[in-house]
Amino acid sequence: MRRAAPAVWQAVRNRSLTANTMPSIAEPATQPVIKQRPRSDDDLAPTFYVVCWNDPVNLMVYVTHVFMKIFGWNKQKAEKHMLEVHEKGKSVLTREGAEKAEFYVHELQKYKLHATMEPAE
Amino acid sequence: MKLVKEANAVCLYQMDPQEAAMLQGLVKNFPFTAMQEGEISRTEATPEALERDKLLNESLVEYRESLTTLAAQLVAPERFKPQAKGVVMTISAEEREQLLQILNDIRVGCWNALGQPASLEPPASGATDQEHKYFALLNLAGYFEHSLLVGES
Repeated sequence: MRRAAPAVWQAVRNRSLTANTMPSIAEPATQPVIKQRPRSDDDLAPTFYVVCWNDPVNLMVYVTHVFMKIFGWNKQKAEKHMLEVHEKGKSVLTREGAEKAEFYVHELQKYKLHATMEPAE
Repeated sequence: MKLVKEANAVCLYQMDPQEAAMLQGLVKNFPFTAMQEGEISRTEATPEALERDKLLNESLVEYRESLTTLAAQLVAPERFKPQAKGVVMTISAEEREQLLQILNDIRVGCWNALGQPASLEPPASGATDQEHKYFALLNLAGYFEHSLLVGES
C-alpha cells in the first residue's frame, strides 16, 4: 500500500515545478469529481435468503433434480446444496429481493420441498 | 421401470405391464390426501409476510387443481405401447416434471397423513389399515420418482 507524500515533499515538488523554465503540463487545479451511482430503490429494498429445510421424505435424487431445474445449476452445485440440506438441516440457496425470493419459494413448494424466504440482515 | 431413450425433450421409459398398471392406478387417483398448507417464512410475521403466505397457499391450491386435471392425461393408455420387453411409456420432459410433482405430492401427502414421522420405517403392528395404505402409497410414489430420475441427462 502506498503512503501519502509528506507535506514537505509536496512543497519541494511545487518549488521545482515553478523554477523549471521548460514548458510543463500543469497539474489540474481541480480534481476530477467521481460521480457516485445514484442509489436505486433496489439498493434500499430488503433482501431475503431462500432457504431449503431438511425433511426425511423427499428423495435426495429428487431434491437435486429440483434445484437443477429451478436454479439452472449443474449437478455438482445442486448436489452440494442437497447434501447441505441433508447434513446440516438447511441450505441457503440464494439471496434475492422480495419478489424473486417469493417466486423461488413458490416454485420449490410446487415440488413439495420445504422452502421459505427469511429476511437477510 | 427405466429410461431407455431421451432425445428432443421426449423421454421413453420401459417397464413391466404390472408397473404400468400400478403407475396408472396411482396417478389417475391423485390426490389421495388433503392439501397441506405451505409457509412462506419461519421467522417473519409481518403483515407483508402474512399476505405472502396467503398468496402462496392460493397459488398452491390452484396449481394442485391443475395437476389433478392433468393427472389422467399423463398416464392415458395411448402413452403405453406394448413392446417385446414389456411396455414403453412416451412422455415429454415437461410432462415428466408434472408427473414428478404429482408423485411427490402423493409421497409428501402420505407422510403428512402419517404424522410426519422422522423415520420411514413400516408402521407398527397396531397401525390402522389407512396408515398401512399411506405407507404403501408413499413407497410406491418414491419408487416411480426414483425410476423417472435415474439415468436422466
